[in-house]
Amino acid sequence: MSDFSSIPAELGLAQTWEQRNGSQWLEPESLDVRHMATVMLARGARFITITAMQLPEDEAARLDYHWDLDGELLTFTIKTADKIVPSVYDLCPAADWIEREVHEYFAVEFEGRQYEPLMLREGDPVGVCVPEEDA
Amino acid sequence: MSYRIPIGPYHPALEEPYKVNLVCNGERVCDAELSVGFNFRGIEYLAERRNFVQVIALMERVCGICSNVHTLSICQALERLAEIDPPPRALYIRVIVAELERLHSHILWAGVAGKLMGFKTMFMTCFLLREKVMSALEIISGNRVNYAMNRIGGVNRDIADPQSVLAVVDFLEREVNRVIIPVFASNRTVLERCAGVGVLTREQAKAYGVVGPTARASGVPQDMRRAAPYAAYGEMKFEVPLELAGDVRARLLVRALETIESCRILRQALNNLPTGDWWGPTEEVEVPAGTGISRVEGPRGEVLYSVTADGENDTPRRVKVRTPTYINMPSVRLMLRGARLADAPLIQASIDPCYSCTDR
Repeated sequence: MSDFSSIPAELGLAQTWEQRNGSQWLEPESLDVRHMATVMLARGARFITITAMQLPEDEAARLDYHWDLDGELLTFTIKTADKIVPSVYDLCPAADWIEREVHEYFAVEFEGRQYEPLMLREGDPVGVCVPEEDA
Repeated sequence: MSYRIPIGPYHPALEEPYKVNLVCNGERVCDAELSVGFNFRGIEYLAERRNFVQVIALMERVCGICSNVHTLSICQALERLAEIDPPPRALYIRVIVAELERLHSHILWAGVAGKLMGFKTMFMTCFLLREKVMSALEIISGNRVNYAMNRIGGVNRDIADPQSVLAVVDFLEREVNRVIIPVFASNRTVLERCAGVGVLTREQAKAYGVVGPTARASGVPQDMRRAAPYAAYGEMKFEVPLELAGDVRARLLVRALETIESCRILRQALNNLPTGDWWGPTEEVEVPAGTGISRVEGPRGEVLYSVTADGENDTPRRVKVRTPTYINMPSVRLMLRGARLADAPLIQASIDPCYSCTDR
């Protein structure tokens, strides 16, 4: 089992991992997701997916980046008020379809990349999974 | 001069709707563009409109092959959130049904691979074997496809007669050792159609986050049953078959060897089935606010469920599903580059793709 306890310090974060409900969680106030991806890939972690969720206040979205490090599930949670976050696709090819899907479902913009339709077709409006009461 | 061959989204060579544009130069594939989404049903969105019991039945419909994996995953996520430990007998029954599902999925795929190789006798042999597994699942659950076995905190049905399932396991192990493994390991047709074809290197598999038998055929020893054991897998002894070649033959062999390991697990679980209840809580389960995550090793690889509840409503706030084909599919582009055009159908099928899972 790899030692993941030093990852927050490597990312310059004061928080430590909190284990609950099937994952180790890190929920910093702010996070450089590209630095996070670089650090995780350098440690040999496997990118699993991003769970996106529309939050009721201020059209914000929550993004959970899930990684596997030798069987340990590590989740970084960020909140974005403007729904704009840097893409990690160029660092991590596994993120390609995942970012495209989050874009289509929740209208999150991943800076620094182009989108081709994935689940939707060309010209379809994005944000199809934003609950109506939050749209 | 290159030319383009569009295949799909509806085509006799495809088991399910998706589209692949092959860019070819002569008989060589230079590149492939994959399009999915033709089965998009918005199931994650629908899940937010079902209560915590109804959502289990909904998620069972994500896939027609590995339906049990989805109910197991969502139940485990909810149990972690609600801090419920299912009884030991339920955990063993979950392992038994999950391994029977893996058996029928792998044997079905072996048959499909046989058909795509032009080896129809293999196809018919595999489907005959698979029928035995389907019958066992029907005896246990009353259903051949959606078994409805899992509930929050337990299972819906007991396995009253483990000996009858053991008889199926004995038969399958004997036939897989007698027919499938020798054919996939040494038959000349299989070697010529599969060896060195559709290679995915270990480095490529890691970069693309590939999972399941596709990853293990490229030398990535990753299996959730071993890496992060759930249900009763921590008590089972089994090997994780690994191949290094990363070609179609390696994917054939890994799945064939995994059927033997599934038989080993089934024998242990059926012979050591704990006594006691299997149904878990009889009162309505209160799901508190928070996010529960579960990972299960499905027949095609790791399935992840993330379920968020707000603690006020009896519906999930969010249900996220990451299926194995979803993460494996982009790597098919790498497998197809440089391949012979005639090998393209077999290569795309070699990850055992499920578009119903992918599109949800």
